[in-house]
Amino acid sequence: MAADDEILSVHDLRRSFGGVRALTGATFGVGRGTVTALIGPNGAGKTTLVNVVAGAMKPQAGSVVFDGRDITGRPSHDVALNGLIRTFQISREYPAMTVLENLMVSPQGQTGEHLWTVLFRPSRYRAEERAHLERALEVLADFGLYEKRNDYARSLSGGQKRLLELARAVMARPKLLVLDEPMAGINPALITRLAEHILALREREGTTFLMVEHNLDVVEDMCDNVIVMAVGRTLATGTMAELRENPEVVSAYLTGGLVDVRAQG
Amino acid sequence: MSLFLLTLGFGIVTSAVLALAAVGLSLQFGVTNYVNFAYGAFLAFGMFFTYTAQSALHMPIVLAGVFGTLATGVVALVVDTLILEPFVRRGTSGFFLLIVTFGLSLILLNLVQAIWGVGFDQYNVAAGSPITLGPFSFTAAQIGVVAVAVLTMVAVHLLLTRTTLGRAMRAMSDNAPLARATGIDTRSVTRWTWFISGCLAGLGGITLALNTVEFQAFTGNTFLFVIFAAVILGGIGQIYGAMIGAVIIGLVVNFAGMVISSAYDLDAAFAVLVLVLLLRPQGIIPTLGKA
Amino acid sequence: MGVILGYVATLGVYFFIYNIFAFGLNIQFGYTGILDFTVITFMAIGGYMAGVASLGPEQPGSDIYYVLGLSLPWPVALVIGAAAAGAAGYVLGLIALRRLRSDYLAIVTLAAGSIVYGVIGNANGLFDGFEGLVGVPQPLNGVLKLSPNSYTLFFLGLAGVIMAICWFVAERIYRSPLGRAMRAIREDLDVAEAYGKRTFRVRMTAMVIGCVFVGIGGVLTIWFVTALAPAGWGTSETFVVWAALIVGGRGNNLGAVVGSFLVAVLFNEATRFLPAIPGHPSLISEIRNMCIGGLVILTLWFRPQGAVAERKARFFEIPLRPGALDEAAKSVPAMATSGS
Repeated sequence: MAADDEILSVHDLRRSFGGVRALTGATFGVGRGTVTALIGPNGAGKTTLVNVVAGAMKPQAGSVVFDGRDITGRPSHDVALNGLIRTFQISREYPAMTVLENLMVSPQGQTGEHLWTVLFRPSRYRAEERAHLERALEVLADFGLYEKRNDYARSLSGGQKRLLELARAVMARPKLLVLDEPMAGINPALITRLAEHILALREREGTTFLMVEHNLDVVEDMCDNVIVMAVGRTLATGTMAELRENPEVVSAYLTGGLVDVRAQG
Repeated sequence: MSLFLLTLGFGIVTSAVLALAAVGLSLQFGVTNYVNFAYGAFLAFGMFFTYTAQSALHMPIVLAGVFGTLATGVVALVVDTLILEPFVRRGTSGFFLLIVTFGLSLILLNLVQAIWGVGFDQYNVAAGSPITLGPFSFTAAQIGVVAVAVLTMVAVHLLLTRTTLGRAMRAMSDNAPLARATGIDTRSVTRWTWFISGCLAGLGGITLALNTVEFQAFTGNTFLFVIFAAVILGGIGQIYGAMIGAVIIGLVVNFAGMVISSAYDLDAAFAVLVLVLLLRPQGIIPTLGKA
Repeated sequence: MGVILGYVATLGVYFFIYNIFAFGLNIQFGYTGILDFTVITFMAIGGYMAGVASLGPEQPGSDIYYVLGLSLPWPVALVIGAAAAGAAGYVLGLIALRRLRSDYLAIVTLAAGSIVYGVIGNANGLFDGFEGLVGVPQPLNGVLKLSPNSYTLFFLGLAGVIMAICWFVAERIYRSPLGRAMRAIREDLDVAEAYGKRTFRVRMTAMVIGCVFVGIGGVLTIWFVTALAPAGWGTSETFVVWAALIVGGRGNNLGAVVGSFLVAVLFNEATRFLPAIPGHPSLISEIRNMCIGGLVILTLWFRPQGAVAERKARFFEIPLRPGALDEAAKSVPAMATSGS
């Protein structure tokens, strides 16, 4: 894939904690408009990689280029404002806010977040607020949460919280959405549903997806491209079929986390 | 004797007091993972239990000190069991636990003041002639304070490394869910922690009272953020860090008092606290996952 | 009759002042989750600065020492007091609002409070040390030539107007996207940050506005009492404001008002007028403080949301585009079967 088709280019990222070397050289690219999977045995450094790419942690070496900008070591909110939104491994809704409000927080750069406007020119954000509200309601309808819009987010079921997490991310209109194990611990019906949402979003909005995923069946069904990590570095990239032929990948899984993969798949 | 050596000597005594109090706070902070803002009131209990034991029950000061120490441990245990534990078990978030301990500090400090009055008290300790130790000269009480602190630090070290309880406390401090999963009785460990933390607070209060000579209900509370400074400097929940932090803060406070003015010696502790938070918020010895 | 009226009016003034304190803390803690354990310090800074801005120059030989002494008109003094409290909040925020765990924040605010207390008390030349400022001129008192009772009523009106403005501003912030971002940060700072909120800036905004509010309350206090000394703003006073907000209902400005009435007026101020118990001059205040501490703990146990819980956010209803729900059902076929 040519480099200019890449929305995200990660080069040789390194990060350690105390003596533990969590990332020892991660290099990969994510093609614009693709759904790319990031797989690897437990402890391979996938979540650390997500944290470093999204700015929650600073790398000790390496670079992250997103959409033509060097975002290495930028704070999370800066990365997000550039159009890279990440979700968390466990659902982290805003519990004491309503479902609708959870979505209304997401739109970026809201005029009504400036103190001066709020205090002296509140009429300036009304139209914008209305537009966000319309979109939020449509997104909620799309995700089947419309009836729940005025419920506190903490009252949702586990599956609904997963849907909310994705819905809220969609509201931010990301260019690249990084999902950290979106399918872990949910039932097959919901997996199908989330997968359909993801593919529909790519179709409709042109969103690129990078998802950390254990479930190789899901990866095979959904993803155009797969990145394999082991012991803190990227081993290989390619389609699932290509990777099956790659002896290094097979051995990493056999020695590292095959049991784990089967258990979840 | 030069002013420098005199100040260094006072600094060592302050460090000893601070070490006792800081280790107790850090221990509880590490195991339960929330700050106890009522800790200053525990210091006051230690001071006044000992005072009553000495003045009303006519115990010798050492025995009175042992009584005050243990009684404060019991107060801490009761406070935890009756009030804090139910909140923790219910899953109250950290925010509200802090407010609860803040409220407890108000209740307990006013209780101490209501019982023992607003005035200043002091222990009946013979001043004696200063004892010269190498280049330093101390009062008997000051030597006692340092000796108690050193012995207690050794005891805490042995507790943490040689006993089942100590190892369980360290395990909970590192990772409470994991500790629970490996079959540690976290409830009883928590209660022991509060008792020990209370005893150390009591000892800290008694030694603080010996060091300042005159004391009243709020003396310990004024000292509270100096203790916090030592704990944060050492790294939250790091017992040995708290000891090092106590020595550094104790010396800084006394030397700042010498250089600037003793009215502003606490400001020096605050300055260190701010610098630590700005430059190294994880403390000298960072705790993984807790910073 | 006049005595009772004056008494009620005095309580009314305290009620309005505590409302403003509670609104300020609500913006910090109720909206944004900032544990400010030294609220009352900002009241003192606001009060002192307004005091020295409106007092005349220090008189030699009077034994009262203070800085400035600008003889400024009262509206300017109000602005100076509020701005000074806001600036102090900004400085504290620079230290305390970096991405630290919430207990660090609480410790730093508490420590900063005792430092400010010590400095103001010990530095006699600043605001006359532990003696405090006295004889601060009251707004328009020289002009109106009212009897003390009538002036108290006038002041009640003035405090009421200022309180109403503060309430209006606090509500306007709450309902805005800014208030929504504050609450999102309260709920989960990391997530808000990951969704592009500049969390440091938003928290700093809440910190400073809260301090400005408390500072305004401080200006009203020094005007009403005409004096302010460190004995009047210890840690227990901070806790009274916290108690008002927790008991009334955090996150809800109406709750802040209810709590101010219950805790600050009924409990705190009204009991000040009880006669002292002979031989135990401070016993009443000790019992009062214990009761306030106990009240907060009981509230957190039995009704953690407070007397008036935070309201659910309501949006103006926009009808969905006709058929939007059906379309959604069609575009995601699995939805119909696996819905809630």
